[in-house]
Amino acid sequence: MVQEQQLETVDINVNMGPQHPSTHGVFRMVLTIDGERVVDVEPHIGYMHRGAEKLSENMDYRACIGFQDRTDYLAQFLNEQAYCMAVEKLLELEVPERTEYIRVILCELNRITSHFMFLGAFGIDLGYFGTSFTYGFRERERIQDIFEEVTGERMMYGYFRPGGLAWDVPDNFVQMIRAVLPHTQQGLNDLDVLMTQNEIVAARTKGIGAMSAEDSVNWGLSGPMLRAAGIDWDLRKDKPYSIYDRFDYDIPVGSHGDVFDRYLVRLEEARQSIRIVEQALDQLPDGPIMPEKMPRRLRGPEAEVYAAVEGPRGEYGIYIVSKGGDKPYRLKIRPPSFCNLSALRDMTVGNYVADAVAILGSIDIVLCDVDR
Amino acid sequence: MPDEESQPDEASAEDQKSAETPAAKPSEKAPTNASAESSADAPANASAAEQPEEEEADPRPRPPAGGIADLLAEALPDVKFEAYQGMTDVIVEVERDDVMKIMPVAKDDPRLDLKFLRCLFGVDHEDEGLEVVYQLLSLEKGHDVVIKTRLPKDDAHVASVTSVWKAANWHERETRDMFGIMFDDHPHLVPLLLPEDMTDHFPLRKDNPLAEIEEWQGDELPEEGFGGAAKRR
Repeated sequence: MVQEQQLETVDINVNMGPQHPSTHGVFRMVLTIDGERVVDVEPHIGYMHRGAEKLSENMDYRACIGFQDRTDYLAQFLNEQAYCMAVEKLLELEVPERTEYIRVILCELNRITSHFMFLGAFGIDLGYFGTSFTYGFRERERIQDIFEEVTGERMMYGYFRPGGLAWDVPDNFVQMIRAVLPHTQQGLNDLDVLMTQNEIVAARTKGIGAMSAEDSVNWGLSGPMLRAAGIDWDLRKDKPYSIYDRFDYDIPVGSHGDVFDRYLVRLEEARQSIRIVEQALDQLPDGPIMPEKMPRRLRGPEAEVYAAVEGPRGEYGIYIVSKGGDKPYRLKIRPPSFCNLSALRDMTVGNYVADAVAILGSIDIVLCDVDR
Repeated sequence: MPDEESQPDEASAEDQKSAETPAAKPSEKAPTNASAESSADAPANASAAEQPEEEEADPRPRPPAGGIADLLAEALPDVKFEAYQGMTDVIVEVERDDVMKIMPVAKDDPRLDLKFLRCLFGVDHEDEGLEVVYQLLSLEKGHDVVIKTRLPKDDAHVASVTSVWKAANWHERETRDMFGIMFDDHPHLVPLLLPEDMTDHFPLRKDNPLAEIEEWQGDELPEEGFGGAAKRR
């Protein structure tokens, strides 16, 4: 005789991180799970908080550049670009033509390296254990070599300056990049073949972590996260800065807002970046790299400025409150990873624990950008 | 390399949003220039006869006519606010108590359509109190605005806007961490970036200076060894 018995289920808490291979840095989330289903997520951040904003208040305008490399450490040029644009607006500096082109070339290459990093790590999150990672890193390394050649650094470039650049690029700059771009294209194709049509990837990503267009806007998502949800918003097109209005490129847009669409948008975005780099190389003019009348000390007026770039993770913005003097009175960074990560709970609840990893991977966070 | 041959994409990129942006640009520029003139004039005219009139005018440049500030005034006839053209954005200063009157309208009114909260942060103005800054953006219309409100330091609280934009959730928690500004009706106002027990110390306030960097005291080093070697002779 089978005795009818009420079985009780208990929600349990699972702590993921801070040291965990799939959290992409030092990040902890406490998952409340009911069996295999996630019923609640509490993200804990701040492990990497170094007070970049406070430190910048005590540094002069040139010295602050160093902190920009250290926020989103996969998109250093783009951060520097945003910061330099803010200071240039504040001081009303005119950036020379050649500088703009070099900046755009480096920024777009940086976007490609960042997306290679995403594509490689994303495969690991889904269980590829290395294939996508080696594919991604093989090609990323070639571009990384160019950055090293140009700036002398592999990670914390500190190459842009308010008004211009630290020094001119080497003579073989154009040839170097032209030699690398076919490899980049090939690398993206390899990853495309490896992952896009793969059944396992499709099963792990399609319909997972979907967020509607309306919610995406409400949560303040930006970059590929927002575009994957079907919203055609890219600062390069919609609020053109620098010289992005001179190039011919497309903005890939998804439709479902799920993990798979985010992956596709990033893959296509990297391809479009190659197009921009090619056009910029064709047009690269000669000339000075710093404005003619460059003040020795940078002193801002009493004013507030905001400048933002479309980074690989979304809108990276710098808001400077100046009260005169050679230091920013307040420097606020709008970190795209922080804003995108804040929606994690809404995306994850209701999915399996294993999907939480895929969703977190698809946000493509950089924890140093989250915590600053 | 030919350098001026490419303005190819301008036409194809001109959907509604980008069509509006260039149109907005010159109008944004105009008042800035006007202000530069007037502010340059002001000291020169200090002794002139028109001085009282000059003084009456707000020294800050007026926002462009027909721009976002006028739209706000249109949508919110019964809320008083001050608007001026900042260096890059139109800045609107509102009273603390009006925040929850303005924000839902700013988001939902079809004329404003400010559905995207770019960022929310605090600024410490020392004697002039704290400030909360809301950066709003409309993805449909492509316009943006900065809304600010002042809070006294000894009573630093303001209504939370998490019910309007979910994006405000973490921004408000961070602002509480850094400035000690309390957000009323926030669903979960606990420390985010700082340790959980650090609730009485607000690092980004100006009365929290950075600790001075301690210099390496050479003479306190032992005679022998790494640092002492140079000193010995």
